[in-house]
Amino acid sequence: MLVRIAGIAASVIVVLWGAATLAFLAFRVIPGDPVSVMLGPQAQVSDAVKDGIRSELGLDRPPLEQYLSYLGQLLQGNLGESYQLRMPVTDVIGRQLGSTLQLTALALLIAVVLALAVALFARGRVSRGIAAGVELVVLSSPVFWIGILLLSVFAFGLGWFPVSGTRNPATIVLPAVTLALPVGALLGQVLRDGIETAERQPWATTVRARGAGQVRLTSHHTLRHGAAGALTLAAYLVGSLLGGAVLVETVFARPGIGRVTLAAITDRDLPVITGIILFSALAFVIVNLVVEMFYPLLDPRLRRVRQGRA
Amino acid sequence: MPAPLVRRFLPITAFVAASALVLSGCASAGDESADGGEVVWAIEGANLASGHMDPQTSQLDVSSMVQRVVLDSLVFQESDGTFSPWLATDWTVSEDGTVYTFTLRDDVTFTDGAPFDADAVKANFDRIADPETASAQAASMLGGDFYAGTEVVDEFTVEVSFTQPYAPFLQAASTPLLGFYSPEALENSVEQLKAGGPGINVGTGPFELTEYTPDQEIVYTRNPDYAWGPDGAGAAQFETLRVEILPEASVRAGVVESGEADLASNIPPNLAAELPDTLTIDSNEYPGLPYSLYLNEKYGVFADEKVRQAFARGIDIDAAVEEIFFGQFPRAWSILGSTTPGYDASLEGSWPFDQDEANSLLDDAGWTERDTDGIRMKNGERLSVRWIAYTPVSDDNAALANAIQSDLSDIGFEVVREVLEPGAYNEQYGPKTFDLTDWGFSGVDGDLLRSHLHTDGFQNASQVSDPEIDGLLEQGIATSDTDERAAIYQQLQQWNAEYTAIVPLYSPSLITAVNDTVSGLEYDLYGRPMFYEVSVG
Repeated sequence: MLVRIAGIAASVIVVLWGAATLAFLAFRVIPGDPVSVMLGPQAQVSDAVKDGIRSELGLDRPPLEQYLSYLGQLLQGNLGESYQLRMPVTDVIGRQLGSTLQLTALALLIAVVLALAVALFARGRVSRGIAAGVELVVLSSPVFWIGILLLSVFAFGLGWFPVSGTRNPATIVLPAVTLALPVGALLGQVLRDGIETAERQPWATTVRARGAGQVRLTSHHTLRHGAAGALTLAAYLVGSLLGGAVLVETVFARPGIGRVTLAAITDRDLPVITGIILFSALAFVIVNLVVEMFYPLLDPRLRRVRQGRA
Repeated sequence: MPAPLVRRFLPITAFVAASALVLSGCASAGDESADGGEVVWAIEGANLASGHMDPQTSQLDVSSMVQRVVLDSLVFQESDGTFSPWLATDWTVSEDGTVYTFTLRDDVTFTDGAPFDADAVKANFDRIADPETASAQAASMLGGDFYAGTEVVDEFTVEVSFTQPYAPFLQAASTPLLGFYSPEALENSVEQLKAGGPGINVGTGPFELTEYTPDQEIVYTRNPDYAWGPDGAGAAQFETLRVEILPEASVRAGVVESGEADLASNIPPNLAAELPDTLTIDSNEYPGLPYSLYLNEKYGVFADEKVRQAFARGIDIDAAVEEIFFGQFPRAWSILGSTTPGYDASLEGSWPFDQDEANSLLDDAGWTERDTDGIRMKNGERLSVRWIAYTPVSDDNAALANAIQSDLSDIGFEVVREVLEPGAYNEQYGPKTFDLTDWGFSGVDGDLLRSHLHTDGFQNASQVSDPEIDGLLEQGIATSDTDERAAIYQQLQQWNAEYTAIVPLYSPSLITAVNDTVSGLEYDLYGRPMFYEVSVG
């Protein structure tokens, strides 16, 4: 068990180190003077001031030295200070993390509920066909466009939901639905596919022969088989939620990690970019670990094998 | 059987988590005080959260637009371009134009209680001029290298001196870029001013910044003691100004149409044309240098004046601008916009679209052969120019570029366009290895032409280097008489119309859509809403 934990910890560190190094390299490879980009277009700043900024940020030192001091800082758990905001990176990410977590959690919940509902209730050939068609349309539409569409209908047209602002908690509904739709559609496809495959298995006939109805067959047997595939997608989904958050947050004017990321990339804010990359890498690692731990819960065969080996 | 147990608990956990989420959402919802009323203002504002909350350091219009309600200035610029007292009751300029002496009001306090006095003026101006501050525009408006220092004469008298006559100073002093923070804010939270927040961006203005959620909203609350507004304006007539940051234009249009916002700024022309008649659409042309093309005369074919003139005459600017901007933005005829003091209206219509004229200019310049694509040639060289554009490029400007490319290809003039990331752009912009590039520059004082046309100008993308022009620009900055200055800038505009270093295309406007709930809204010279006399009902 200890060996296993040590292995996981080592792989986490390697992933984080790789991510940090890639971030640093990418920052060096992009052409152009980072200080000019940071200052933005039409900044009326003399070269002396630019040199001052450059030496203050250590950008005038040799790349290897910059890399080592950068890694050294990271090792001490110090993500540094945002170039743009002059705030610790942990604060920059921290102050916007909450709203992204709320949004993605709610979106994930809606997506899972939608996918399950479609998988459970779209039973017949026709209804499954319709569901598959709708899913295809949703999956092929840009998140951005879905958002504008929902806004036009439910916010501007019907006036059911306010668009923005911190005053009303209902502002989270439309962005969460927007983010949930493509994820739900993908989950639904995989889930239904898994269920259909399971239903063609010989044991499904056995279960039916024992007198189990469609509902019991699905909820106790085939859903479990279908869910394994869907669960594997979880890591990908976390990525698409974070990526989708950029667009959704822009359309619905919500603060969040997506907006921070976008701004940090356009403004060459390396410390913030690094912080976000490390955060995303960590999130992926954790999600993958959790998913791995969930498999045995879904699939008793894996459980026994694992226990047997331990 | 641990597993089924876990499974049974999962839905419960999920439910609890979901409820917690909803409850926490409720908790953060503010209490709405109906007292005194609220104005909701939707703006674009995407850049505010990346360190642009401080007009003293930021060069972006949006920083000044929102923080104006917090930052007062020494003087106020009226709509006719003249100056009236604000925080300064009186001012004199020394005979040689190098020293400005301001007498300050003695009854002004910052919203943190600190008094506004000569020391506060000095602290702010010194901070702007300090290279450590890395101010991207305010420092150059404060004279840049010409700024000699600020001296406290007595508690309410302050002297600002320059190393040479600096005529644009009063205009600069009327902007939020040279507005005043509380000395305590400068003392204790100067590092946080860029990021911004309540208790940090503290000024003397009619409102106090009380809540800030980056990328979402800024809440300003009335300063009840305010009694020193421009033209005698007192405390605001409503309690809360809520600025909603909505980067997506259709969303801004949507919230003002549905009444969720009282007014929305930065409305693009295509959406402005679609808004219903129940809204008032105020379109205020930005003063300054219109959106223009800068022809680099030191790199390629633009060295020849005839080629530059042919380029300008070969574009059907009227048609393209009218169509792309739905008639909301006027086509520009001069390198100063029509609302800029010193604008030369006589240039209107003086260089119309004329394909025949453009063709004969190119023939005269020796570009007479044609290659297989119909592009003109001279001595085996194609008549081709490379346009570098800075991302992001708006859809409208991209459409305009297409129109320009297609118009010019009709006269055998090829325009290759490269849309570049900021870093890649700067790599070509620095050594000036391009034929043309584009931007607009807003500003009220004609001196903005100095950075664009002076040999040492930092935005001189056309690479103009002419002692006579340098002389005019230097004279413009040193002349304090308004009419004399206007004559100088008119001479410069006339010169460009012939020389064609810059091809002005259109004057963008700040379009604000206003609901009928709002009355008394006015705009400053930059077209930004002013809330001094606004009431809601």
